[in-house]
Parts: sequence; structure tokens; C-alpha cells
Amino acid sequence: MSAATSAAEAEAAKIGGWIEGVLLKRLADDKLVLPTIPSVALKCAKLLRVAETNVKTIAAVIETDAVLTARVFRAAAINGVSTSTPGSNDLNLVETLTALGDKELRKLLMDATAQLSASEKVYVSKDPQIAASLRRIWEHAVMVSILARDLAMLAGARSSETAALGGLLHDIGKPVVAAMLLEAERQLIEVQLQKKFVDAQVWISVVNRLNRKVGLALAERWQLPPAVIRCVSDCSEFDNADRASHLNPIVLANALAKKSGMVAGPVDSDDVNALLMIGKSMLGFSDDTLTKLSADVKKRVAPLFD
Amino acid sequence: MFRVLTVDDSRAVRTIVRKQITEMGYEPFEAEDGEQGLVRLAETPVDLVLLDVTMPVLDGLGMLERMRAKGIKTPVIMLTSESKRSIVAGAMRLGLDDYILKPFKPEELRVKMEKVLGTAAPAPSAAAPSGLDAMEAVMFTPAAPPAPVAKPASTAAAAQGADVLLIDDMENVGVRLRALAPPHVKIQWVATSPAALVAAREHHYRVILVDNELGGVELPVLVRQLRMLQPEAVLVALPLHSPTDISKDLRAVGFDDLLYKPFNANSVSDFLFKYFDNQVVLACEENIFKAGGFSGREEKLAGYYSKLLELFQDALKKAASACYDEVILDLSLAPPRQERLPRALIFCEEQSKASGIHLKLVGTPDHRRLLAGFAETKALAMFDSIQEARQGT
Repeated sequence: MSAATSAAEAEAAKIGGWIEGVLLKRLADDKLVLPTIPSVALKCAKLLRVAETNVKTIAAVIETDAVLTARVFRAAAINGVSTSTPGSNDLNLVETLTALGDKELRKLLMDATAQLSASEKVYVSKDPQIAASLRRIWEHAVMVSILARDLAMLAGARSSETAALGGLLHDIGKPVVAAMLLEAERQLIEVQLQKKFVDAQVWISVVNRLNRKVGLALAERWQLPPAVIRCVSDCSEFDNADRASHLNPIVLANALAKKSGMVAGPVDSDDVNALLMIGKSMLGFSDDTLTKLSADVKKRVAPLFD
Repeated sequence: MFRVLTVDDSRAVRTIVRKQITEMGYEPFEAEDGEQGLVRLAETPVDLVLLDVTMPVLDGLGMLERMRAKGIKTPVIMLTSESKRSIVAGAMRLGLDDYILKPFKPEELRVKMEKVLGTAAPAPSAAAPSGLDAMEAVMFTPAAPPAPVAKPASTAAAAQGADVLLIDDMENVGVRLRALAPPHVKIQWVATSPAALVAAREHHYRVILVDNELGGVELPVLVRQLRMLQPEAVLVALPLHSPTDISKDLRAVGFDDLLYKPFNANSVSDFLFKYFDNQVVLACEENIFKAGGFSGREEKLAGYYSKLLELFQDALKKAASACYDEVILDLSLAPPRQERLPRALIFCEEQSKASGIHLKLVGTPDHRRLLAGFAETKALAMFDSIQEARQGT
């Protein structure tokens, strides 16, 4: 490890410790406010302007943002509403939104929209590398979600919707940590008039370092469904004992997204290639199918952010 | 002949693998553990090693490590029930070529062995980058070409693979189509999209019929997935008759064609003629030409004969190029319809003479009676079988 890398790691550990403390405290006090990504908040605002909107249309917007989807599950837990298709354990966002009812649904959309001006500020970094990383974090989650749904359907897994929602939320800690870091950046630059917050390398290192711990804390505090908590807990190994598990398409989708470069931060290419090799054999996919799926998804994800 | 060494402590696995290796025409070798595997390799160099991970004495990773340390670069496929990322990643760092998770399907073993040994049939676009290592190249290709549409094959062999996948949640749709289609067209009916995707993963279809109002299904997603699994298939939507034209919308979703419900004999006949019947019009093997059957509407008969003559001309040219001085045209399955057949044969006879080739015909008593009724065709020689035609003068 070079001296520069060691210094960056030390700084990431220091900042990470501080951020973790603040985040976990806010979570415990129920004071964690997470903005929706601006492009999704704008779509929510549009949905609110339409007198009668189909629940499927609303679900299609919500499932492009991990934080907003987590909020739906949180609302379901608070209101004692089932997150599954009746008679099964398969997650279903449309069913959940329908069960929450119009009033709660509008409240969710209004919350997302109310934060629009705030999120436009919060979800922006003055550092172009950090801004790019932020975009990658969001794109990665959506890409894994779409790929996991496709792979689950093609592999004949039990529930493609559980795979899609688990894939969307598997790295839920990342946008939470990122939002906190961006808040800190704004404070330092706008209020304390410092020139720079941290290097992009340190920034992404903090996000990756805290992702799992913060994600799990949020998943448990917000009472996200067990299928989601399992993905947040570990998405790096296949479930060989239950090959039809919703986890397996997500693990393969995660590796595919990383292989295609749709990820923030460094990637261990040996690990990714090993997961692709195992996943192909376990779920019965050819290289060609995976290549086509990934190319197709990348084209579908890119326009969603802007 | 390729030599393949299987290193596995399970006799059952070795037996299954040996059988498949032998069936593929390769020479099998076996070892019960890594130590024995290294001894076998020292005795007989092989072209491929199929390697288990968990074994007594010396495990798979240990054997691979020692192989590489000795400079043995033989390709290795891991054949194991081990699915830990770190173990597979470690083997990849030692030059693992591929991986198969137990239990496995024989097809997976065959495909991966052929790939590693370089005996796989070349892909249609051999020059294009393929595989995950070429993923980045594919992803940044600005505009992907449109998905290929199945072209009618012209051989009997292709027709044997003719198959329809019908995806519709109303069972009666399948019953109706089955009743209207001739028996030689194989139809598989499924009611749900997951069942359709399973079928599309396991079989090849020429045509896939999709109910465009299938319950609980995002149609564009299903179409995209079917296209991915069956790039050669024709995707046909099954809309209801409607005063508004929805064909543009359905084509925008990715369908190649439409077949309106409810079906009737004529619409099914047209559909089958378009995608199936014209594919068995004429099968050719050297100087033996066999006309296929016809099961469509009478109005389509002109098209059948027109296609028959077109294919006959091409086949005749090939026979002439190969220096055949006679060709046998077997009409046994061709419909003996008034005028159409005699007219077609007059044309075939003229073309053959112009090419310096003697035309012999094979047909049924019905064909013979029909040709005898026309002055221009009553003198044409017709035999009862190809064998008789070969011997006859």
C-alpha cells in the first residue's frame, strides 16, 4: 500500500467513525431525513399534479430510487400493511402501495416532492468526481434491480419482484452515507467557507466502508422486509443450498453491474469474475445472454438519472 | 483424439463424466484425488482436466497449484459442489478456464468442454467480440442492430424443427389453434410468462405467439426477454379484432407480426403458410428432389407451385454444376390438383431439357392419372419409387 493510499485510508477511517456516530444517533432518534434524488422527486411532483394516477405508474417511479422504496416499506411497517403478494412471501411494491391507500401514497409523494428544493442542494457535490460517484451509486442500485428481475424471470426463480426490490435496496447504506457526507460538505464549504471537503477517493472509501453497517441499522430500524434485510446483510455469496432463492439472481446481477463498470469505487475483478463463473453455472446462463442483458440494461438506466 | 482427465473422489461422478467424454469421441482418464491426478498427468499428457475441489490426500486447488508450479498449462474446468467466491477466485488466479457447479446437466459439461478444447461450432458472428470479457465493447456499441427475424429455411431438416410456442392464459386459444393447424406443426401452449420463459430457455421455436393482454405482465419486458432467449424466433402478437389499428403499437413493443383472435381456418392457414408450409416445398439431396406437402387454403396453392418452380430451378442449376445428367423429382406429397401440377411439370421438363438433364418423376397413381389427362404430360415417365426411378430408363 502506498503512503498516499495509507493516508487516504486513515482519513476515511477518521471521517467514517464520525459519520457513523452521527448517522446511527439520528437513526436511533428517528431523525434521519433522507432526500429523494432530484430526478425522481420531479417525477413524483408530476404524478401529484395528475388527478388520478395508476398505482403501477407510481410504483414504476418509486422503484427507481432505493431511498424512496425503503420509505414505502417503512410506511408499510408503521401502518401494519403487508409488503407481499397475498398468500405468499413474495415482495410486491404495487400490492404494498395499494394496501397503503391513496392518502398514505400521496403523503409519500408529497414528502418526496417537498424535499425537492432541499434534495437539489443536498444531492449535489462541488467535486465532479464525487458527483460522478454519487450518480454511480444510484445507477448501480437501479441496474442491479432491473438485472435481478430479468435474471430471476429467465432463471425461473421463485419471485422476480423480490429479486428486483432486494437488488434495489442491497446497498441502501450507500445513499444514506452519501447524503450525510454531502451534508457535511455543504456545511464546510458554504457555512465555514472551506475550499474543499475531502478527496473523492476518501469519500467513496467512507461510503463503501460504512455501507453494510449503516444499511443494516436502517433496515432493522425501519423494519424493512426480511428478504430485503438478507440482501443488505450479504450480497457477496450465492445460496447454494437453495438455488431458487431470490438472493442468487441479485448476487449475479451485482457482479454483472460491477463487471460492466456501473459501480462507484474500486472493484476486485477476481471476485467479480468468480461470482460470474459461479452464477452462470448455478442459474444456467450463457456469456451471450448475460452480455446482452447488461448492454440492454445500461441503456435503460442512463436516461433515468437526468 | 482429445484426452480428458477427470479428478474426482466420487466414483459415480467419474462414471457419468466418463460416459459423456466417450460419447463425445474423447479419450477418458481418471484419478481419485489430486495426488493421483498429478501422477496420471506425468504418465500421460492430456488436453483437459476436469477437477473436483474437495478430495482426500490432495484437494483440487492443491493439485492446480502444483500443476502450474511444474509448468503444466493444461486447461482446467472445475467440476464441484463448492460455490464459495474466494475459492473460485483463487482457482482463477491459478488459471482456471471454466467452472461447473454440481449437480450439472450433461449439456453444460459438453458445451464447456467444447469451448475449452476449441471444438465448439463457430458462432454466427465469429468476428464479433463475445463473452463477458468483451462486455464493455458490446455495451458501448452505439446502436445495436435490430434483432434478426427468422427466415424461412428451405430444407426438410429445418422444417423438422418447426415449432410454435403459444403464450396465452386462455386454454381455448391453444385448443383452437391445435384444431386448425396440421399435425406436423408442433405447438406448445403455456399460460403464464414464467412458464414461457422456462420453455424459451429449454427449446428453440420458430414462431412465438404472445397474448398481448396477458394478465400481470409488462409486455415490453416479456418481449425483450423472449427476444433475448430466442433471437431467431418470429414474435407474433395475438390481439383481438379492433376498430383501431394497434399494429403500430405492437410492432413498437418488438413484435414482428400479428395474428388476430379469434382465429379462423383462413387466418391460421395464412399464418402457417407464411412461416411453415413454404419451408418444405422442395428438399434436395444431390440429384434427388422431393416436393413437400401442402395443407393450406386453395388460394395459396398458386404460391406453393410458384415456390416449387423457383426452388426447382435453383436445384437444377446445382445439379448441372455437379455434372448430373439426370434428376429425380419425387412428387408423392405434392397435391395432385387439376392443371396446376401438369403446368408445373411442363415447366420443369422444359427447364431440364434446356440444361441437358433428363427428368424422371416419382408419384402416386393419382398423379399418374392426372398427368395422363393432358396431351403435354401424358408421355412423362413416372415411377412408383425413387429406387425404381434410379433403375428405370
